[in-house]
Amino acid sequence: MLYFDNAATTKPSETAFSRARAFALEQFYNPSALYNEGYALQSELKKARSALLSKVADESAFELVFTSCGTESDNQAIFGFAKRGNAVTTAGEHSAVSAPFAELKNRGVIEPRIAPLQKDGRVDVSALLALVDEKTSFVSVMHVNNEVGAINDINAIAKAVKAKNPRVIFHSDGVQAYGKIPVRLSKDVDLYSISAHKIGGLKGVGALIKRKSLVLPPYLIGGGQESGRRSGTENVFGIMQFAYAAEEKFSTLKADFERLTTLRERLWEGLDKSVYTRISAMDGTPYILSVSAVGLRGEVLLHMANDKGLIVGTGSACSSNAKSRYSKIVLACGYDEKTADGTLRLSFSPTTTLEEVQKAVTILNEIGQDLTRRMK
Amino acid sequence: MEKVIIVRYGELYLKGKNRGFFERALENNITRVLQGIDCTFVKQAGRYFVRDFAEEQTDEIIDKLKKVFGLHSMSVALQTTSDMPSILQAAKAVCPSCGTFKVETHRGDKKYPLTSVEVSRELGGLLLAEYKGALKVDVHNPSFTVQVDIREHGVALVFAEFIEGANGMPVGTAGRGMLLLSGGIDSPVAGHMMAKRGMNVDCLHFHSYPYTNMQAKEKVVELAHILAQYTGGTRLYTVSVTHIQEAIHEKCKPELMITLLRRFMFRIAERHAKRCGAQCLITGESLGQVASQTIEGMTSSNSVVEDLPVLRPLVGFDKNEIIERSVKMGAYETSILPFEDCCTVFLPDFPAIRPKLCDIEREENKLDIEGLIEQAFQSIEKIKI
Repeated sequence: MLYFDNAATTKPSETAFSRARAFALEQFYNPSALYNEGYALQSELKKARSALLSKVADESAFELVFTSCGTESDNQAIFGFAKRGNAVTTAGEHSAVSAPFAELKNRGVIEPRIAPLQKDGRVDVSALLALVDEKTSFVSVMHVNNEVGAINDINAIAKAVKAKNPRVIFHSDGVQAYGKIPVRLSKDVDLYSISAHKIGGLKGVGALIKRKSLVLPPYLIGGGQESGRRSGTENVFGIMQFAYAAEEKFSTLKADFERLTTLRERLWEGLDKSVYTRISAMDGTPYILSVSAVGLRGEVLLHMANDKGLIVGTGSACSSNAKSRYSKIVLACGYDEKTADGTLRLSFSPTTTLEEVQKAVTILNEIGQDLTRRMK
Repeated sequence: MEKVIIVRYGELYLKGKNRGFFERALENNITRVLQGIDCTFVKQAGRYFVRDFAEEQTDEIIDKLKKVFGLHSMSVALQTTSDMPSILQAAKAVCPSCGTFKVETHRGDKKYPLTSVEVSRELGGLLLAEYKGALKVDVHNPSFTVQVDIREHGVALVFAEFIEGANGMPVGTAGRGMLLLSGGIDSPVAGHMMAKRGMNVDCLHFHSYPYTNMQAKEKVVELAHILAQYTGGTRLYTVSVTHIQEAIHEKCKPELMITLLRRFMFRIAERHAKRCGAQCLITGESLGQVASQTIEGMTSSNSVVEDLPVLRPLVGFDKNEIIERSVKMGAYETSILPFEDCCTVFLPDFPAIRPKLCDIEREENKLDIEGLIEQAFQSIEKIKI
């Protein structure tokens, strides 16, 4: 099976899995326990925490709280800090951010303000800044868009936001960026969400990176783990495997970035332009190529590809509810419904090969031409 | 005192010499729904009882019995000895301690020293004395009624509530039908209504993969599971009609897409029904609900069905009546999940509302009808529910 849906999840790293195995089967103790076997795990978690954090931020200024996933990290950030006035986000956010904003609006807690996207999928920064005022308490801007792969310069955006209102708490969903593109968080970024399973880790592990001086309200209350910021017995095996997987990814990050940029372009070059239109910008993440078979339905192509051994993602779905059928991100980029309906997301991993790309191209062209003929 | 559930059957009491056939079907259906629950199901003196169950499973048993067609009502009762102090104890346990009430007594044991009226009067007096001021007698419009049933061998049953059953006839007593099950609201209700009259229901679902997805199929499987709670299991068959839609799309007038597709569906359904031993087709059509459900549309579909009757139990129902039944049978929340149940990619903007048979047949002659049907049968899958 050719797997081109790595933005949804990645195959777990077997090396990282093997290295962490003992934490599942042998060192299975509760890290909060007072006996030596349990207590010893605290230092392992500390090492993992440090390793994961130091890759993207200054450890003296930031710290890392383990969570169960990127969604939980986003939720903890938003529900913890978007508490008054207005809160600003973008039209390109994952539902882990957009849904909590909608929920806070329903509860009457905040006035959400949504900044539009540019055609390339990045947020329109001047429009976003225009929404920030003295009553803005929270701003969330995703780092890499999960559907079209656009990269927002979050350090620059955070700086501009803070220049307008220094009291704003700035959050970024970094789930599609961490371990994939070069990141160094500036002091203007207060909170940053990451997830293990997007980079060879396991599902069920995430983290929220926070500026040290920020008091993070707990989202789960109980045994006081993670210094009281996130209660619940730590998933030691998952966390250790995450740290080992991240170590692998960061060690080859630059080389992977360059190689995948080439592969992404090879894929695009090979596609039949009479069927496919490019959505992703050239300067987006090399891990995602979003295209649209305008006039066809993305999910139908997904099933046809699947039957031929190719797994791809799509922003649309065979839903009878027209509102939920189209990729809202592609619509937000300014494309029409036909383009949004035909969207396919092809996403890569460092293990993707040129041969796989060539096979994918052949299948995508075959099915695209086949469906075009059938729909005539 | 022992807690028991009294189970009463409905319409089948009208049956004469063949009542035994219906009773056996009902008993089998009750035994089947109670499988997995530690209890005893017995027939005594013309009524059914569920006994020897754990107190905390009472609601679960009642919920299961509510889905057995043929049952008129159930009551959770306390069985005690028929002396008045014991009956009073049981009555106190089953009835509230305030409000208005009356007592109704039935005597199966005609040798009991008091008449029914005397039992009711004495028990009423004892309850009034027990809950001084909090209880009042109201024989015309009481807030609850204490029911006392004095049986032979010194046994009495005391209860306060009749829980309505599903009524109808036991499934398995009225043949077998093939339900054309879509993922919508109507067809599960149609299947439910035929099962209520005792019919075994098998299901046939048409899909358009890759134009529809696995979630749509899972939804239909879930709907079949919901229906199966009432029918005691069903067989779900799925058939792909993608190639038929593509052939129609390629060769025929677009406004006749639905009409022509439905004729194929009915042809396939009848042939499949015969193979499965089903004696009729069941659809969820309601007159005038959508473009294909006009009398002309139904005539067009019926005209390709050679032998079997096509039953449309919802034909005279309004949509809100169908929704009400869907909610009651527990299918509504699943039915409204937003997955397409049949491809909308090929649907015309303006489907023919009153198609003429001569136009339909002219368009149909452009297609290899037998070949397309044969190809559809090659895609058939069976899912045992």
